[in-house]
Amino acid sequence: MKIVVVGNGIAGNCVAFGMRARSRDHEICMLSAEKVPEYDPCALPYFIGGDVSRGAVFRKSLEDYRRRNIDLMLGQRVVAIDPRARRVTTAQGFEVPYDKLVLAHGGQLFIPPIEGIRLPGVFNCKQLDAAEQLRGHSGRRAVVIGSGAIGIEVAEALHKKGCEVTVIELLDWVLPALFDRETAQRFEAALAASGVRVLKSEKVLAIEGNGAVAGVVTDKRRIDCDAVVVATGVVPDRSVAATAGVAAERGIKVNRHMQTNVADIYACGDCIETVDACTGEDVMFQLKHNAIDQAAVVVANLSGDPVSYAGAYAFARVHFGRMHAVSFGKSTLSTQCQLGELTIVEREKGSDYLRLIMKENLIVGGQAIGGFADYAGFFMGAMRRGDDFAHLRRSRASVCSLQNRYRWTQRLIGDITGLC
Amino acid sequence: MTTQWIASDPQRCTACHRCEIACAMAHHGACRPELARIRIHCFEDPAFNVPVVCMACEDAPCIKVCPVNARVRVINGSVVTNEDRCIGCRACVYICPVASPAVNPFTGQTMTCDMCADQEDGPWCVAACRTEGALWIDDGQRCSLQSTRAQADRVRSARYGASGARAHRKGRMP
Repeated sequence: MKIVVVGNGIAGNCVAFGMRARSRDHEICMLSAEKVPEYDPCALPYFIGGDVSRGAVFRKSLEDYRRRNIDLMLGQRVVAIDPRARRVTTAQGFEVPYDKLVLAHGGQLFIPPIEGIRLPGVFNCKQLDAAEQLRGHSGRRAVVIGSGAIGIEVAEALHKKGCEVTVIELLDWVLPALFDRETAQRFEAALAASGVRVLKSEKVLAIEGNGAVAGVVTDKRRIDCDAVVVATGVVPDRSVAATAGVAAERGIKVNRHMQTNVADIYACGDCIETVDACTGEDVMFQLKHNAIDQAAVVVANLSGDPVSYAGAYAFARVHFGRMHAVSFGKSTLSTQCQLGELTIVEREKGSDYLRLIMKENLIVGGQAIGGFADYAGFFMGAMRRGDDFAHLRRSRASVCSLQNRYRWTQRLIGDITGLC
Repeated sequence: MTTQWIASDPQRCTACHRCEIACAMAHHGACRPELARIRIHCFEDPAFNVPVVCMACEDAPCIKVCPVNARVRVINGSVVTNEDRCIGCRACVYICPVASPAVNPFTGQTMTCDMCADQEDGPWCVAACRTEGALWIDDGQRCSLQSTRAQADRVRSARYGASGARAHRKGRMP
């Protein structure tokens, strides 16, 4: 059987190396648009800031592919899939036949339609070559457009390099996908305290410069700078899938076995739309741990085990300087269009802050800063199990036992929050 | 691969904290419980104490979330932090179901149980434990993420019926 993997990211490599670990017989071919072996995009902000070396960014070396007999074709961007002839075509004109195709090409940087966005001095942090350019840049003043997790990490990296950093966010608070306003305000305070300027509810209109970036114009002011980092998110790449008639909405649609609607085409990683493990809603979490889980499901199904995917879960942590924060599950904004009584549980101790979002006595999400963040795993466990805190309150006396091995974690949550 | 891990019985542990001190001594040569990789959570009314130590989950989530791939499984089955790589982002602490990775107060890096791989006489915490049956070395089946999730799904379906996540979905718009 010839397995062709499109994409050389986390998901694609987990599929290829996972298949090889199960069988020596399959022919495995990987088509990579980039010209380097697998690296970890999560490490790129730390590479820019100098926390990790270039070598430590890589998860594999070319030797690893050779040793496992995986045919890695570098610099081959797939442009078309012919499901009838079972063949993919690359931009360079190569045609590669397949028996099973795995789409793991991930997402593309969302580039907002701003004047001057193509000027030299506008960087991003999506791929290794872009990160290398940013690391090599020796500017003093930088503007980061977008305050998602990547935006904040890049801001910290540039701040460490000695840059004067301004973060511009279109919405009313930073990290809007992860945090509620109350949590974000506390995080913003940490940013401001270390000298990073945060501009909220502000829209970038143009990037100015004659041959190189000289400034950013927003709807409220003009900011002088010599570098702009675009961190406005990643959108799934659906164009290749469309050539094969693969159904896609926000991302490629897959079933619980990671199969698309076209026979023998699977998809996993950042390019797919999947279900939330707790709520069953259609979601897009472009996170590394989900990509690894999905790749494992693809590997099992390709090998004939009809394993079904348990669903993705939202988990993200951010830090700035000494402040560490975590977010999991849903935020208040994302629960807004649902029925059901929402309760917010807040706890504060010094600079530590905990915010749990509960719907009808069940945890559906939460955010924590500082010491409370250490207990995120306990809350996520309760969320996943669907612990009913009204029920737990009534059975407070029961001790942990073999019958209920979670009881002590529930008691711990009770001790922290007073919920049970 | 047969693997060993440290098991505990919350009903027997008396929270004497000898295991914590032994752990700090074994790894850092210092009598400082904040450097221990084992930690005891104490509860009152009714009283019980839970020693928490890394169980090196089969499908360890900390390995998946580490942005710099510093969490690695070593030959004896333990999952440890590579100190050359760890940047102290604490993702492994936050994703862990029992928050077992400890943060080294001096370096900011995380550290977990390595079954005292460098010590000839095995895990020091177990040797230090004075209460019969509170802490011991167990062979074989680990508590994996998969088995834990499977159990979680059973708990959920027993409570809410076969659809499992129904309680969560109740509020969905039609």
